[in-house]
Amino acid sequence: MSSADWKNYERVLIPDIDGLEKIDVYEENGGYSAFKEVLTDKKKWEGPKSVVDEVKAANIRGRGGAGFNAGLKWSFMPPSDGGPRYLACNGDESEPGTFKDRKIFEYNPHLFIEGALIAAYAMEVTAIYVYIRGEYKVYIDMMEKAVQDAYDKGFIGENIMGSDYSVDFYVHSGAGAYICGEETSMLESLEGKRGYPRVKPPFPAQKGLWGRPTTINNIETLAHVPNVINRGADWFSSIGAENHPGPILYGISGHVNRPGVYELPTGIPVLTLINEVAGGMRNGKELKAVIPGGSSTPIVRADQLDGITMDSDSLREVGTMLGTAGMVVMDEDTDMVDMLWRISHFYHHESCGQCTPCRDGTGWLEKILLRIKNGDGEIKDLDLLLDITTQMEGRTICALADAAAWPVRHTITRFRDEFEARCKKSVHAIA
Amino acid sequence: MPEVFIDGKRYEYEGDHQLLQFILDQGLEVPFFCYHPSMSIPANCRQCMVKVGQPVKDRESGEYELDENGDRVIRWFPKLQTSCNIKVADGMVVHTQETDELVERAQKDTLEFILANHPLDCPICDQAGECPLQIQTYKYGPEGSRFEVKKVHKPKRVQLGPRVILDAERCINCTRCVRFTDEISETHQLTIVSRGDKNYPTTAPGTEFDDNYSLNTVDICPVGALTSADFRFKARVWEMNQTPSIDITNGKGTNIDLWTRDNLVLRITPRFNEDVNDHWMPDEGREAYRVFNENRVSKPAQNLDGEQVKSSWNNALLTLAEKIEEHDGKEVLFVGSPHASVEENYVLMSVANLLGAKNPVFTPHIEEGYGDGFLLTDDQAPNTNGCRALGLDELSAADLKKEITGAKMVVLLNDQLVDRNVVSAKDIETPFTTVFATNHSETSKVADLVIPITTAAEHAASYVNVDNRAQRTVAAKETKYTNRRLDIEMSEGRLDRYGTSFDNWVTEDNKVDCMPFWNFTSQLADRLGLDLSYDTGRDVMNEISEKVPAFKGVSYSEMDANSGIVLEETSDKTVKS
Ligand SMILES: Cc1cc2nc3c(=O)[nH]c(=O)nc-3n(C[C@H](O)[C@H](O)[C@H](O)COP(=O)(O)O)c2cc1C
Ligand code: SF4
Ligand code: SF4
Ligand code: FES
Repeated sequence: MSSADWKNYERVLIPDIDGLEKIDVYEENGGYSAFKEVLTDKKKWEGPKSVVDEVKAANIRGRGGAGFNAGLKWSFMPPSDGGPRYLACNGDESEPGTFKDRKIFEYNPHLFIEGALIAAYAMEVTAIYVYIRGEYKVYIDMMEKAVQDAYDKGFIGENIMGSDYSVDFYVHSGAGAYICGEETSMLESLEGKRGYPRVKPPFPAQKGLWGRPTTINNIETLAHVPNVINRGADWFSSIGAENHPGPILYGISGHVNRPGVYELPTGIPVLTLINEVAGGMRNGKELKAVIPGGSSTPIVRADQLDGITMDSDSLREVGTMLGTAGMVVMDEDTDMVDMLWRISHFYHHESCGQCTPCRDGTGWLEKILLRIKNGDGEIKDLDLLLDITTQMEGRTICALADAAAWPVRHTITRFRDEFEARCKKSVHAIA
Repeated sequence: MPEVFIDGKRYEYEGDHQLLQFILDQGLEVPFFCYHPSMSIPANCRQCMVKVGQPVKDRESGEYELDENGDRVIRWFPKLQTSCNIKVADGMVVHTQETDELVERAQKDTLEFILANHPLDCPICDQAGECPLQIQTYKYGPEGSRFEVKKVHKPKRVQLGPRVILDAERCINCTRCVRFTDEISETHQLTIVSRGDKNYPTTAPGTEFDDNYSLNTVDICPVGALTSADFRFKARVWEMNQTPSIDITNGKGTNIDLWTRDNLVLRITPRFNEDVNDHWMPDEGREAYRVFNENRVSKPAQNLDGEQVKSSWNNALLTLAEKIEEHDGKEVLFVGSPHASVEENYVLMSVANLLGAKNPVFTPHIEEGYGDGFLLTDDQAPNTNGCRALGLDELSAADLKKEITGAKMVVLLNDQLVDRNVVSAKDIETPFTTVFATNHSETSKVADLVIPITTAAEHAASYVNVDNRAQRTVAAKETKYTNRRLDIEMSEGRLDRYGTSFDNWVTEDNKVDCMPFWNFTSQLADRLGLDLSYDTGRDVMNEISEKVPAFKGVSYSEMDANSGIVLEETSDKTVKS
């Protein structure tokens, strides 16, 4: 289905079915049949590798932000040596502007569980962990119940559905740190340690949870898997943008009339999402800027958005990324200095503090921005801010430093006038 | 052989190397903070950045691809790499700050970040002068600061435990201290708390950092965040002389440095020896600095009518000589000591032999269960194996007591036998007892004659540890009779070389009135007409290595060159005459 056809799109991740979060309703609607098929239909699914190949062909690009082909990632797991292997499901969902995985927890938890089980089978995983941000207390409780129900029905546990495959499933609560969404930090946290991202290599597929082979996937990424099994890789890859296909959950927030999570194909024009899907700008205001995929993705000015669609290729043309597809829409009244300060405040607060450039850079960025916001900044501060971002980017263990630097770099370069207007006329600026 | 190119120069290598360590091993430099060769590599300080590339190989031929000039085509890593956690690989090309501007810039940038929230209080910081942050800032850091906003404030003067104090504002979050308690002492007493630029290390609530090895964290902390409760504010590093020595508080033979100023030992720090103590030492060994300064026996003393009174050296010498002459050699019991050096015990043995006395005896000083399998040992003395290798007669405590009480005259080499309950004060009082002692004790108190001798900090002498390794000390502190500028056995510090008499504080009272055991004994031998004369510990060791089979090939220069020498087990205990 092409993205132009979006009005006729039929939802598959969060379909409009009452009570779908209940395992019985889920089963009535074909739930767990994909998992059953891969386990039992040996003609169609010759073994774990055939599942990996199908998912690879579908090209489900990771919905956690980096956009890596899920099947390809699975294929990096080394052959099983009989010891433990893990799948860690990333439900930390903490990037500002991102609030889509919660809809899966809330409306279709078993779709995710089934997807995780299929992924686990495909990678010969022995235990699955789902790491959910601590603030999602309600969903953690729901998830625990859903997992228990799936155990009770025999979808999780020993010799599932008479096969020789066994796996365990654990729900783990985060404790309020954004950094624990970074995949290796999440592994540390699961191990009961401080959430410090690990140095890579070794990659988790080689040495992950407790030093064993591990794959990390986002919740939404895994929720796509049962549909790929049921309907085939071709079905998935024919939906939406060619290089970034499939259904996707757009989380639209900000100054629109109908903010919310919308399931649609990838590749929808940004302006269509704002004006038609999300009901247009609030109070008839003018669009000023969009952050397309979570607060770390570079901001785009309204005048840059013509013809830009929500997929990595198109967004790259305007120097940004799809990220988590959590789109923040800002109208003409938005103060870019305030906005940027708020984002920098977040990253300053969330840096784990391991790497020098991130630990001391994030704080410095925020403090200078605060100074500018308070009218005490000077124009030379803007150049200093840009310098600091250069000093942070690409020099740290994880991508949080980049995530903190990009918004500063791009917001200043794209809205420089506004920043200069807030600065004192400094002697340093006179050429 | 595999090769690697660093700043255009080719190096061959074998085996597995971390790039940073390899660079350092070549005598080159890349600045770093978090890396420590004996601990895991977190690569968190991001200081050791270099540019790294690998030559491109043709897939089919396996040959290196060449460019139009015939040079290898290099594929550079897209980002700068931290050299500490990257492995040296065949053909690797590395550019450090010496040849690459971007690398130089990146290192400067990281230092700018580190200094942003650092209090910059070097003038009142104990670490100044031996501070990697200070040194690297001078060498690689930015000039001035662009940081004009408020610094982060964190806890200061936090007593983490009995011996270690934290200034969290100075901390650069390298996690060395945390890794030390996780990986080396394995007490897991420290962790980083809070997040981002508010991070700092501390203990779990309600617990304290009382690890037996806690002071090592002060050594490895690359800034002045962790300081020693005992040593802080006592001296500036550049006012002290640093002298290599051996820990004499137990049998491990931990390699140490003595830090002296004005002839006082002010602190003790570990010295690297891969085969003994690596980079570490127990806190207990550091406390021993007091032994060198305090409670010292200075000037001989003699028991006159039940009271010990100071005596002149001449009088002490005469008294001892007369007493020896009064007795038949066989009536004199010579007691050696595992707390004294190889040289001292040997000289004692020589005198005993010349006098026709029986071979000196000794009893080990063991506390069962005291050792921890790391650097603390059951053996409480530094030279038990030295006594054995020399061929002293080893006795149980009970047998030694019997010997002493049965003797008419006892000559005891520095062993506090009363204090450690081998004998009672009474036992010592019965025979005429001469004690050669470094420090006052319950034992010296009851002796008839006390002769002050030098400590390990005042002479060069050897000790054989529990693993049979012979290692030696170097004189670090003057006595009344030595002069650091004239004595060739004395360590020469920066101050000796460059200082004026103004820099070298000289308080006469800090010099102890004592002399090396072999010097006093030489004088005694002269008086008694015995053929025995030694100037220095080195002379004694030269003779030992000739005459005692176990010490064949052992000399000061060999011990120095090899960080000690392991004695070969030999059944031949006969001492050549
Ligand atoms: C600072 C930081 C925070 C992250 N937070 C999340 C998160 O909350 N949820 C998530 O799925 N991925 C997050 N990621 C991305 C993960 O590291 C990882 O790429 C992802 O979970 C992989 O799943 P996917 O391939 O299915 O997208 C974060 C990455 C960084 C650097
Ligand atoms: S980049 Fe920042 S968040 Fe990531 S590991 Fe380094 S300090 Fe922690
Ligand atoms: S206290 Fe010192 S050793 Fe510990 S983390 Fe801070 S700087 Fe590193
Ligand atoms: S020494 Fe390499 S990152 Fe710290």
